[in-house]
Amino acid sequence: MHTILAVDDSASMRQMVSFTLKSAGYTVVEAVDGQDALEKSVSRDFDLVITDQNMPRMDGISLTRKLRESPHFKNTPILILTTESSDEMKQSGRSAGATGWMVKPFDPTKLLEVIKKVTR
Amino acid sequence: MSNMNTDNNTASAAAGIDLTQFYQVFFEEAAENLDSMEQQLLNIDITSASDEDLNSIFRCAHSVKGGAATFGFTDVAELTHQMETLLDKLRRRELQATVAMVDVLLQADDALRAQLARHQGAGGDPVDTTNLLASIRAMQGGGVAKVAVAATTVAPATVAVESRAPAELISDLGTSPNGDSKPAALRVLELRVGPLNDVKDADNLVDLFGEIVDLGSIEPLDAGQASDGIRRFKIVTTSCDSELMDLFTFHVAREQVKLLEMTAGFGFHDGAPGAPAPSEPEPTYGFFDDAPGAPGTAHAAAGKPAGSTHPADAATAATATTASNPTLSASAPASAEAKGAAPAAKAAAPIESATLRVSIEKVDQLIHLVGELVITQAMLAQNSQKLDPALYQQLAAGMADLERNTRDLQESVMSIRMIPMSMVFSRFPRMLRDLAAKLSKQVNFVTVGDATELDKGLVEKITDPLTHLVRNSCDHGIETPAERVAKGKSETGTLTLSASHQGGTIVIEVRDDGKGLSRDKLLSKARERGIDAPDSMSDTDVWSLIFAPGFSTADVVTDVSGRGVGMDVVKKNITALGGTVEIDSAEGYGMSVKVRLPLTLAIMDGMSVAVGDECYILPLASVVESFQVQPGLIKTVGGTGRVVEVRSEFMPVIDLEEVFHVPKSDTPPATRIMVVVEADGGQVALLVDELLGQQQVVVKNLEANYRRVPDVSGATIMGDGRVALILDVSSLVRHSRH
Repeated sequence: MHTILAVDDSASMRQMVSFTLKSAGYTVVEAVDGQDALEKSVSRDFDLVITDQNMPRMDGISLTRKLRESPHFKNTPILILTTESSDEMKQSGRSAGATGWMVKPFDPTKLLEVIKKVTR
Repeated sequence: MSNMNTDNNTASAAAGIDLTQFYQVFFEEAAENLDSMEQQLLNIDITSASDEDLNSIFRCAHSVKGGAATFGFTDVAELTHQMETLLDKLRRRELQATVAMVDVLLQADDALRAQLARHQGAGGDPVDTTNLLASIRAMQGGGVAKVAVAATTVAPATVAVESRAPAELISDLGTSPNGDSKPAALRVLELRVGPLNDVKDADNLVDLFGEIVDLGSIEPLDAGQASDGIRRFKIVTTSCDSELMDLFTFHVAREQVKLLEMTAGFGFHDGAPGAPAPSEPEPTYGFFDDAPGAPGTAHAAAGKPAGSTHPADAATAATATTASNPTLSASAPASAEAKGAAPAAKAAAPIESATLRVSIEKVDQLIHLVGELVITQAMLAQNSQKLDPALYQQLAAGMADLERNTRDLQESVMSIRMIPMSMVFSRFPRMLRDLAAKLSKQVNFVTVGDATELDKGLVEKITDPLTHLVRNSCDHGIETPAERVAKGKSETGTLTLSASHQGGTIVIEVRDDGKGLSRDKLLSKARERGIDAPDSMSDTDVWSLIFAPGFSTADVVTDVSGRGVGMDVVKKNITALGGTVEIDSAEGYGMSVKVRLPLTLAIMDGMSVAVGDECYILPLASVVESFQVQPGLIKTVGGTGRVVEVRSEFMPVIDLEEVFHVPKSDTPPATRIMVVVEADGGQVALLVDELLGQQQVVVKNLEANYRRVPDVSGATIMGDGRVALILDVSSLVRHSRH
């Protein structure tokens, strides 16, 4: 059973991602921004973190950096969702330690496909 | 929800996921973001906006764009995308914010609301955002608005843009018109242009997206650089390839343009933790090599073997829900609850506060039930008084507890429907800004008492009358800067909106320091209309002339909302809510309009008094004091009015027995009681036979059940089952003035 942490400040996006993943059988924990995600990851591990980039309080890249500092999340796949796929953004993600990125808008099937690649 | 089919929806339908179930949440969320953005834009200090201010506004637009793009509302996505690009430059300090930018962004905010309204089925014409988009794009480049940006007029069909594409080609694009409630298929493409001698030539293609309505959006993937002379862009559009190529080939040779399908983009950084083994490069997603968790690395997925019945396989294939698989069946209730998302309570979890959305009907039902409970408790209390407390000690103690619990419950429940006045005040900054600009006036808007609470039902009904009063002040009260300076006033006029609780009422005042009302003008206008207006009329009465029907301002208010509401309608609305309107004015200095409304009186603290054999209720909040009085202390003035001396001042007396024609009881008391009550800034002494007590009463609407009765604001059922009338103290005080 894979547990995924889905982070996004937009309720509709969060619900969509959460529902998509749950329909595919994953267990999903939602967080509303980076700060919330960190708090939720104190007490439990996740098999995958999928996070939006632009969020208040703490953005996706900062969250990634912080998670990588913890031994529990050193090797956890972290995907950053973003509406731009510029090289600049990719570079920031990479240096923060992210596993990969995904461009919004995406359709749910693609999301599941990508997730499958990192949860085998 | 209208039947929308987006490309996303079709694809996800194949995976068994219906995106329409998220639309409602998106609409509500978008509305909140737009409200927040508008608020922040109105409050922003252009000269010293902080990074966080700009970031926050950026995030509002960004958030709406993300959702709009995901759920297929391309018109919304396109407009927010352009706004976001501008806001991004502002937050990076690449551009300096200007008032013109704020204006344009505010208008874009309006346009987005209109677009979203159409998507929710509101109907109306498609929103033409041509001018708006052109202006925003011009500003992104550091220029000024290309065309004069009008407030709400729809732009004419011909548009002053620089596109060289002929008009008929544009109409042949076959793109869905702006704001069509059925968004066409959304496509994400990669555009490669080159090899170019001058990579800047590619910018012409970028410009096309800003100039042609609904063509889509474009953004560079290569940060403007192109070492091999080839530029790469990402395009989000509803147009087909051939349509795009037809446009592009106006600027570059056909063989220099390549369009590639990009479905949802993603990528893995090769070697990143957890990243999969690098496969054929895909532009839409990627794994960082050696990144933790990246597939195909030694650390990949920390050795969690996927079971042979891996649920993800089933989902990507088709709508698989094998009942035997416990994980999938667990998700069924989740989908049922997500689908049944309409008015039921659902938990929204914003960061600052935990709130719950509940339907109004449920709250009203709750209030009604608590009202019934209070009546029942009062009856029980009444009946149990007859019992010997010594014998029934526990019962008495229980009754006392019950009374306390009921009171607490009632207070809690009543407060559910109370919302702060700031909800009413919030629409005015924007309205005044636009109105003042249109009238070339300078108005400083001040609010006092934002936290004062008011029943939600009243809020909705008070907004229109207040809007009219505020508009009046700005339009007819406050003078132009030149006129003000000539009078020795400051250039900027001040309009103050205040709210406060006084006794059992809420007082809302609209005050301005404009030119006030002209007594002479009003008198002559009244006489013209055949209204009796002698010179001896008091000022207060002269001001009240405005409320006479047909007295509304002769010069039509040129305001866009065009409700055509006159002061007489304002007064009628307020009176219907059980309130009063008072005008005060000093010519040359300003004017004040005070609206007094009863707070929701569903349950009220009352003082019951006896007059003859009848029982009447006075709102406890308006009772000042009471005392016994010898009949001789009451003096008659002017032949008809009676006054009583209270601490060396004389106060008008109203004998309730006379007002309500109460038959004298068989055993009238030797001395009667004066109850001094206060309302509308005035006091009056009511003559009654006896004070019966204080209790909470449940207010029942008399007008709804019978008809409007003068001097009576409601009725209640007492503990003994009898009906008692609740007196309208304001009305009684007004009596005494005439």
